Amino acid sequence: MMHPKFAVVGHPNKGKSSIVSALAMDDSVQISDTPGTTTKKRSFPLKVDGEILYELFDTPGFQRARRVLAWLEQHDVSADKKHEVVQLFINEHKDDPKFNDEVELLEPIMNGAGIIYVVDGSKPYGEEYEAEMEILRWTGQPSMALINHIDESDYSEEWKRALGHYFKMVRTFDPMNTSLEQHLSILESVAQLKEEWTASVKASIRLFEKYHEQMLDRSAAVISKVIYKSVSLVEKLTFYGEDATKDEKNRIEEKYKERLRALERSTQKSIESIWNHDHLQKEQQSFPLEGMDLFSEETASVFGLTRKELLVTAAASGAATGAGVDLLFGGATLLLGTGLGAVIGGVGAFFAFNELSEVKVLGQTLGKRYLEMGPMENRNFPYILLGRTVYHTTQVAKRSHAVRGVAEFHMDSIFKEKWLNDDLRKSLEKYHKKFRSGKEIEAEELAEYEVLIRDVLKYLI
Amino acid sequence: MNLKSYLDLFELLGTDTSSREERRAFGLVNVVTKNKPLEQLSAWVYENKTKLKKPALSETFSSTLYSMTLLISVIALLFGFLSGVGLLSYNGHEPVNVIYFIAMVVFLPLFTMTLTLFSMFRANVTQSMLVHISPAFWMEKILGLLPNKIEDNLKEVKINPLLANWIVIKRSQIIALAFSFGLLLALLGVVATKDIAFAWSTTLSITPEAFHHFLHTLAFPWRDLYPSALPSIELIEQSQYFRLGDKLSDEMIQNASKLGEWWKFLAFATLFYAIVLRFTMYVLSEFGFKKAIQRSCLSLDGAERLLRDMNEPIISTYANENEQQFIQRHTAYDQMINALDASYDVIQGWAIAKENLSVIADSMKVISPKFFEVGGGNTLDEDMEIIYHSRGEVLLYVKSWEPPTMDFIDYLEALVKRVDKVLVCPVGTLEDKYETEAKEVNVWARKLSMFGSAKVWLKV
Repeated sequence: MMHPKFAVVGHPNKGKSSIVSALAMDDSVQISDTPGTTTKKRSFPLKVDGEILYELFDTPGFQRARRVLAWLEQHDVSADKKHEVVQLFINEHKDDPKFNDEVELLEPIMNGAGIIYVVDGSKPYGEEYEAEMEILRWTGQPSMALINHIDESDYSEEWKRALGHYFKMVRTFDPMNTSLEQHLSILESVAQLKEEWTASVKASIRLFEKYHEQMLDRSAAVISKVIYKSVSLVEKLTFYGEDATKDEKNRIEEKYKERLRALERSTQKSIESIWNHDHLQKEQQSFPLEGMDLFSEETASVFGLTRKELLVTAAASGAATGAGVDLLFGGATLLLGTGLGAVIGGVGAFFAFNELSEVKVLGQTLGKRYLEMGPMENRNFPYILLGRTVYHTTQVAKRSHAVRGVAEFHMDSIFKEKWLNDDLRKSLEKYHKKFRSGKEIEAEELAEYEVLIRDVLKYLI
Repeated sequence: MNLKSYLDLFELLGTDTSSREERRAFGLVNVVTKNKPLEQLSAWVYENKTKLKKPALSETFSSTLYSMTLLISVIALLFGFLSGVGLLSYNGHEPVNVIYFIAMVVFLPLFTMTLTLFSMFRANVTQSMLVHISPAFWMEKILGLLPNKIEDNLKEVKINPLLANWIVIKRSQIIALAFSFGLLLALLGVVATKDIAFAWSTTLSITPEAFHHFLHTLAFPWRDLYPSALPSIELIEQSQYFRLGDKLSDEMIQNASKLGEWWKFLAFATLFYAIVLRFTMYVLSEFGFKKAIQRSCLSLDGAERLLRDMNEPIISTYANENEQQFIQRHTAYDQMINALDASYDVIQGWAIAKENLSVIADSMKVISPKFFEVGGGNTLDEDMEIIYHSRGEVLLYVKSWEPPTMDFIDYLEALVKRVDKVLVCPVGTLEDKYETEAKEVNVWARKLSMFGSAKVWLKV
């Protein structure tokens, strides 16, 4: 059985490409306010391992609808023959540049595609659309209308009244602010166009849900990896003098920071790629979050833990370690281990609030001296990086593929409160501590951390 | 999975350039291994092995490790043998104190095996001191002294610390086994070639009964099977010797033939404590090593991604081919006016109803004797009729938000042939009080500039 096909058609500049871009999750589609940007039909198949489940066509807008309708109406035929006349029109005008756009848009329909007719509900209805709708009626293919809102005004009601005469289903869809639910709801409507298509489109809906899960999984994996790599990162710099100079110490610190920034940048690229936003333009490529550097105080205040939160987290973590000692001695220590652990953890975190990592001079006895920086000692850093990365991921994931132009990531000062609670902080700290320790992290442990991140993403996206 | 396949996987993951589609294709072909990550990785390594540069890193590393282990094992065997010969050296004047040998074949192995057990529990700690004090650890250091070419090759290998620790633990057991075999060989060799008077002696006040009890405990694994391999209380009493002079006691000389019986106990003690238990440790270390390889394979950078790519279906929604780039021509339109005249010969509205036209004209204080709706719901013939009746200057209202279609251009083309001047005037919606947006007017200006008629003007 042939897979279902759907042609997105309509008047020029009514958002056909935006809708296709949003439904196909493809940010490479050319979208502009200049009419005639789309000159050729373009296929967007939904494929699973190469097998097509359905195919979406972006088409040019009607240019000479009245002329085409006049040509069709010259042929006085019964309703069951009307689609043949449309095919005849295509055959006769295939090489006629005058009807290039009409032939391009009618071809997929005559090849069995269902019709998704797009109008702009933010502008008033006009009689000139009737010729287009009449032509589509001549094709005899199942059809539905989508009301897109390019601007804020709302003329939906008059559009619905008019479209109701031509289409059995009229839906509203905003490609610029689409969510997975809206996306799937449009597919649900499309599934009802023809009985034979229902199973396939329903399978596509399930697949889209799976695809979304897949994107969440992959994002969580990438984020977990970058946190682990960044926190456990060790940077080395060889020096030849008696002792390392201040300049050499500054150099290794800068090198260390730059490596961490590069890790963050490459993670952001991966995330954008996972969510099919490879063409995302950012205001500042190097500091994509409103120019906030990874090590700025501003970023720490937005994404990091407060001194108090950090103190509580570190104390709890230290207490847990101390409790292990108490347990070892069967409680004979009168919980001294727990108390001491909490104090050591808390004091350490309090005084090292702004410190990244100590610069160590190593290899002195062996004659080959080098400076070493890392793993990250700053307990706040993983939360800052995690906050930034999660924030970036949610922004990218929620961005519609129809939106063009420079992506602006507006800071959300209460973002941290949305996802980081005390329980999660404790759970995360357990892994951050391991990352800092320099111990090799096993795949299972990283997978457990990944589950925590995935849950956060699922909640936020 | 073994060490070689781990290293092959490490090398392949570092150099692999296969696409997600290729990886998925592999996953689909080898669908029987789905949900068995190690089998999948193993199959992938086997499939891609030919891509490895020769000689493969795994070959170099394994053969170097094998050679080093063999060399050190031979040295350990010799060392064990010589130690055994030394411990059992008998000059005919003084009996051989079995306590030295027991210490060497029972207590030393028990002590080192306890350390090994601790190091096994702590194997996942990168800087495990217990592992670092192992003689096998120093093999790695010896590797550093190898000729430069081999060393450079091996520098590329970054083994998971957990696995590196297990390599050391496992190799340590092999070396210890070799040493123990050396001791056993020495014992058997010396016993076969010499008549040794074994005895036992200690400064501690231990009675023969207590010593027998101790030996009885030590011999628990074999005492029931081979009772003769446990010294009797009489033998223990007869072979106790005190260093009070430089000659053997008369009792010992009288029972010289019995003193040699000790060798059976020593041989069984060596066999059980130094060899069987050590071999058990080796089996345990082999088990831990295999587990470590499995865990390390999954922790390798890129392994998780590879498995994901193999197992997750590729879902794609994007276009098959690239879109033809639309090049927008920015031609300035210079036939523009800012204000309308008070009257025009004809006022037309493109897809604007006649009744709305007069309202728009009133709002703009423009008058005309003729108002026509063109385009929209009109037929082409109706439009031609209107053009036929048009003359002079035509004010043509258009909906600013609707971009000019070729249908409009066709009409304009026909109209300009008939009239002197056409002023295209975009108007906004009634709600916007017919105000237009600049970007909408620009769309019209661009289209008219492409039309390129001296008779057509645009109201901005």
